[in-house]
Amino acid sequence: MELKKMTRNALLTAIALTIFMIEAQIPPLVPITGVKLGLANIVTVFALFAYSWRDALMILLVRIFLGSVFSGQLMTLLYSLSGGLLCFAVTVLLRRFFTEKQIWAASAVGAVFHNIGQIITAILVTSTPGMIVYLPVLLVSGIVTGLFTGLCAQFLYGKLKHLGQF
Amino acid sequence: MRSTKFWIILISGILAISLIAAAAVYFWHGTGTIACVYQDGVLIREIPLETVTAPYSFDVTWENGKKNTITVEPGRICISEAQCPDQVCVHTGWISDGITPIVCLPNHLSIRIESDLRQADGVVR
Repeated sequence: MELKKMTRNALLTAIALTIFMIEAQIPPLVPITGVKLGLANIVTVFALFAYSWRDALMILLVRIFLGSVFSGQLMTLLYSLSGGLLCFAVTVLLRRFFTEKQIWAASAVGAVFHNIGQIITAILVTSTPGMIVYLPVLLVSGIVTGLFTGLCAQFLYGKLKHLGQF
Repeated sequence: MRSTKFWIILISGILAISLIAAAAVYFWHGTGTIACVYQDGVLIREIPLETVTAPYSFDVTWENGKKNTITVEPGRICISEAQCPDQVCVHTGWISDGITPIVCLPNHLSIRIESDLRQADGVVR
């Protein structure tokens, strides 16, 4: 890997990790398990559109792994991985259907699959199929937060492109 | 490539369906009064919250010896203490309807409030 690319990815991972750790310190806005802003995904979505899926995957995996290590929660690893990877796989597959002005839409669609992955894991871990009734609630919050992080990534993309950063 | 209109319609469609489904869940499951405590998917305790007169607590222990303290008050239930790293279940706080369950993933514990109707169903089965 080129030195420049590696440095850039390391920087993005560090930013994502910082956002992740700061967000973990914010008390939950809604007292529902599984609802969170997911601000760190701004970096993942941005990397996916600005660079390649390989760069984005690398940043995502390292961020999830280090985030779980730093926050000391192994269950977070399982959850973030299942949701994150399903979301990532779907977004990568749908990547070519999105223009660079539709990053927010990609993020919202990804969020939907993130929630589906989360629910599947929750059902498997607790062996409670009834958890599925909880999916609509998660989807509503997921779409709203997905749109928000997507818009952040959209603005970031626009600004950095304007500056000629990639 | 898809038009921006397509994505707006798709996303608002999913959002609308989710909202309707969430409302439906609220009406079907939101009327329960029986707290069901599940450990690893197995129903281990049922508490009819309407019949509770005085607050009390009890412990549930998972395989690794980790305990969750469940507190019951008239009409509501919560996990007041938990030996788990994230404390998500404790932060969920009191629940009194079937909308949100309390879940403690590390200790494989979940508490749901279910309706009498579903309970009757279970008895028939």
